[in-house]
Amino acid sequence: MAARPRVMIVGGGLAGLAAAMKLAELEVDVDLMSLTPVKRSHSVCAQGGINSVNDQTRQLGDDEWKHFDDTVYGGDFLQHQPPVKEMAYWAPPVIDLMDRLGVTFNRTPEGFLDRRRFGGTLYKRTAFAGATTGQQLLYALDEQVRRWEVAGRIRKFEFWDFLAPILDEQGRCRGCVAQDLVTMEIRSFPADFVVLATGGCGLIFGRSTMSMVCTGSAVSRCFQAGAKYGNGEFVQVHPTAIPGADKLRLMSESARGEGGRVWVPRKPHDSRDPRQIPEEERYYFLEERYPEYGNLVPRDIATREIFSVCVQEGLSVDPDRQAVYLDLTHIPRAELDRKLGGILEIYEKFQGVDPRDVPMKIFPAVHYSMGGLWVDYERTADGGLVPAHPKNQATSIPGLYAIGECDYQYHGANRLGANSLLSCIFSGLFVAPGLADQLENLTGGVASELPAGLFESARRREEERHAELLSRDGGGENPYLLHQQLGDIMTRTATVVRHNDQLAEAIEQVLELRDRADRCALSDTGNWTNQNVVFTKSLQDMFPIALTILRGALMRDECRGAHYKPEFELPGLTSDDPAERRRQAEQWVDAFVEKNRKWLKSTIACWNADRRDIDISYEDVDTSLIPPRPRLYGLVGAETIEEVWRERQQAMAEPTGEAAGAPAGT
Amino acid sequence: MAEPQSKPASIDSFEVRILRQEAPGRASYWERHRVDYEPQMNVISVLQKIAAKATTIDGRSVTPVAWDCNCLEEICGACTMVINGRVRQACSALVDNLLQQEDPNEIRLEPMSKFPVVRDLMVDRSRLFRALEKARAWVPVDGYYELGPGPRVSPEVQEQAYPLSKCMSCGCCLEACPQYTKVELTRLSGETDEEFQQRKRATYDQSFIGAHAISQIMLFNMHPTGKHEAAARLDQLTAPGGIQICGNAQNCVAVCPKEIPLTTSIARAGRATTAHVIKKWFDR
Amino acid sequence: MAEPTPQPTFFQRHEFLIRRLHSLSGLIPVGAYMCVHLMVNASLLNSPASYQKAVYQIHSLGSFLPIVEWGFIFIPILFHAIFGVVIIAGGLPNTGNYPYKANIRYTLQRATGVIAFFFIVYHVFHMHGWFHWDWWLDNVARPLGGARFAPYNAASTLTLAFRGVVIPLVYAIGVTSCVYHLANGIWTMGITWGVWTSPAAQRRATAVCGVFGLLLLAVAFGSWSGPLRTDPEDARAVEQKMYNAKVASGELDPQQAEHKRASGHLGEETAAAATEDSQQSNGGATKSH
Repeated sequence: MAARPRVMIVGGGLAGLAAAMKLAELEVDVDLMSLTPVKRSHSVCAQGGINSVNDQTRQLGDDEWKHFDDTVYGGDFLQHQPPVKEMAYWAPPVIDLMDRLGVTFNRTPEGFLDRRRFGGTLYKRTAFAGATTGQQLLYALDEQVRRWEVAGRIRKFEFWDFLAPILDEQGRCRGCVAQDLVTMEIRSFPADFVVLATGGCGLIFGRSTMSMVCTGSAVSRCFQAGAKYGNGEFVQVHPTAIPGADKLRLMSESARGEGGRVWVPRKPHDSRDPRQIPEEERYYFLEERYPEYGNLVPRDIATREIFSVCVQEGLSVDPDRQAVYLDLTHIPRAELDRKLGGILEIYEKFQGVDPRDVPMKIFPAVHYSMGGLWVDYERTADGGLVPAHPKNQATSIPGLYAIGECDYQYHGANRLGANSLLSCIFSGLFVAPGLADQLENLTGGVASELPAGLFESARRREEERHAELLSRDGGGENPYLLHQQLGDIMTRTATVVRHNDQLAEAIEQVLELRDRADRCALSDTGNWTNQNVVFTKSLQDMFPIALTILRGALMRDECRGAHYKPEFELPGLTSDDPAERRRQAEQWVDAFVEKNRKWLKSTIACWNADRRDIDISYEDVDTSLIPPRPRLYGLVGAETIEEVWRERQQAMAEPTGEAAGAPAGT
Repeated sequence: MAEPQSKPASIDSFEVRILRQEAPGRASYWERHRVDYEPQMNVISVLQKIAAKATTIDGRSVTPVAWDCNCLEEICGACTMVINGRVRQACSALVDNLLQQEDPNEIRLEPMSKFPVVRDLMVDRSRLFRALEKARAWVPVDGYYELGPGPRVSPEVQEQAYPLSKCMSCGCCLEACPQYTKVELTRLSGETDEEFQQRKRATYDQSFIGAHAISQIMLFNMHPTGKHEAAARLDQLTAPGGIQICGNAQNCVAVCPKEIPLTTSIARAGRATTAHVIKKWFDR
Repeated sequence: MAEPTPQPTFFQRHEFLIRRLHSLSGLIPVGAYMCVHLMVNASLLNSPASYQKAVYQIHSLGSFLPIVEWGFIFIPILFHAIFGVVIIAGGLPNTGNYPYKANIRYTLQRATGVIAFFFIVYHVFHMHGWFHWDWWLDNVARPLGGARFAPYNAASTLTLAFRGVVIPLVYAIGVTSCVYHLANGIWTMGITWGVWTSPAAQRRATAVCGVFGLLLLAVAFGSWSGPLRTDPEDARAVEQKMYNAKVASGELDPQQAEHKRASGHLGEETAAAATEDSQQSNGGATKSH
């Protein structure tokens, strides 16, 4: 009897589980590998909700196209548009499916799904389950996967660390090597396709809002094996997080919305109890700098100001930890409990301090990696995707696919709120039929029947790396301290505000850290549940991605989405004279067009094994469906620029001129 | 709860005592560490410091303590351990509270006692997930093609279901349950991996299913589609290891970090199984 | 080679049913019987005659009595006790680390169950002698201080058997345990069978069961204090009159009734009881005649 083909899915978050479940339905045998029991994946942390057009918004004028438009606009047009369009059109059926799977979405009195508005859109598109939507969605998929596991279709390998893809002589992926985190056994897993669904890489920044498994190591190992990486420099930072010694925990922005005031003591690191600091010694920097908006400045401005007050101006409230005060103590307790009860409880639980009495300490935190493994797609004539096409979600390594947060495809330069859960489930469901079809007529036979030598040598390579680390003498570098230093550098230079001199310096420092990480010595040299060696390996594999982020950021001389370089900002209009103002607007638009000509491109990083560094190139973006337009929110003179922009658009004889690009990846 | 954020003024470091065990079947032993005090630490950051330092209170170099964690937001369920004798999540156990309210001298960390120790504070909770298989804790949908929206659900039912659906399989309810006892098997010589796994599953299935799984059964029996398999789930609740083992100590609900009304689920399950068994008796 | 997968034992396979029967037997018949028993005994507070009358009523079952005794009392108690031990063996009380109210009650339920079991075994031996066979009663039970209760001399034999400090103390502890075990058992039973489900309902049930327990405890101590306040000689006189009347009316056949009467004279019994007491309690208070 011929061996049946298998698909290996690495990562058990929303994307991995969705793919596993869909493949199982298509009668494909699936192996599902994860660092943790899949039910504990990072997707559980998503609080907000999941977007889709729905019957109610439709009647208010909403449609899939608008959801698509909001997503590419929010992403500053850096995404290829066909996959985003496909996702927007899939959103309503995705939510229907999750509803059928028993997700405990909030309900209207009549029993329909309740919806709310989320940032970046005018419509109530977001379905939600309390404040734990990600958890509820993940559990629904986890349950279905468990059902298939009982049926024998899916095998789970939990507490396994993905070490490397296995490539045959033609460079096609034929499986992967992985290590059992308990027994430390290293094993080869033949697989006809490997699907990476391993999420973001927040731990490169030391502490972030991400979970401890989000080291990006699996992605880095594929990157080092030759997979291309896209848009690495685009990292979303959430403006308000609770800084903890171990991680940064999300604090909803509604605290600012309900009247919270942001301030720091004028005296750096004033050690007095904040309640004892008199008004005149407090620096309400948002209110002073933006008298019109005050504390309600847009999210990205709030992020940058809080960041620069602490990092550039050294006014952090703590000497050893960056933070500003978010003060709610002037608001009556009853009102706080009514409006912000749940959020304040989270703060109280993890900080042990009641924010109704004492100002909260908050700081921006790395939250989401827009960048990720470069993946392909096949475009239809009308700008959607060809279903079940082998190219959909395929990385540049044949046979290796990437879905979810670890691909670069859906969020461009910045991610729209409540779109991440959608992109994960969508890409997981969407990749499956293409794989199932290809398994029907595999060229070159089933992976498990290939000569054992291929798998054995791949395994041996990883054994050697492992054994070499364990056999080192003591006295070397401490991986935990190196990780802290890497995180400090990355957070300081490559998050909210980026400066070329700082980035260049950071690259040098990171290269030095990389070399030091090569000399790590382990405090545990045993071969049973050795978390020390596992961490050290993942630390070493953080450097290729860290360099991708830094070099990408250094080279991209513009502002786009989450990538902000003050030197290259297009300033607002300064003149009050109408004619001069008009001239400035013309100039602004010229600069905008030029900026897009130069920079509306995906950053593509490739690993250069000889230099142990990265090479960067650029690819055009398919913006054929919605022409890029300026984002003018909050900019001085926005109306005039808008006017000029509109006139030029009308003047253009052919509506799809230079902006249209070819589909990527050919 | 207007707790001041003060720390015990005199403290600049504190002691942590950890019950360690190198591997299954090995003897466990206590190890003492001294950790520098910082404001607003939790037990995870204590363990991180201990891992980075890897030196005991008397200056001996030791291997870093192994423990399990992931989200650090008390929503993934990974970092459950016994802290000062009581089971809870390490991420939401704050050092200030432990020192001020429980024991000013030291913090005691032990692995959960109801699951086999893998190493140090890491335990093997596969029995817990096996219980979810046994409970058939899923909605038996036809498939994942586009088949329109799910059944309508009233807000009342949603409000009843939502708290139950927050169960993160952390195992606190099982650790604190006096009726849930440890099952630890060792592989026999000559037994293949597959055979060992099968024996484990069979043994787990005969042992108490636990509060979390009973609650999941009530959750899925409440769902309009999940209901279709209600009888099969209730059969599991009356099978060996079923709800009958519950002794109503109600520790489960007291220690649940997600405040899931586990005892309500258990009582409802009691009612449902009563009706189910009588119905089966008279209907067959 | 494959290790055979473990098969569930008979107990495991039928554990749900057994546990439900265990739960039920605690209320009916065991708990219900206990209530009746305590109330009957409390009637001694009214007068030895009331008590004797009640005992006559029970014993009017005649030769069916052992069947009722074993079928509805002893066997259910033994069933409840034996599976109770199995249940207790399956748990690991942990009130040290988890000193919550319900957990303490859980542990107390098990502790009182064990106490109640030993107490009932002793109590039945002490009063009843366990078996009705003459050989057993004459050669084993009575020499060991058991079978002290004579149904047709109910109040007087009871009173004489209830002398000293040790025995009343044992009875006080035993009866309190039984009452707690029943009251708390009804509360857990309500959860087990799904009568009260929500925390609020369970709190209300706690209050109701608590009041029930206190009332029953009052009855229990009423019946406990009965023999302490009864003069055996007066009682014996009343019993004799009642006996004579029953014999005269033909309701009792003296031949068959003999083994239900106190043997020997009251004086001897008193003396015997006194000696026993002084041995047991190192000179406990005894009544002089």
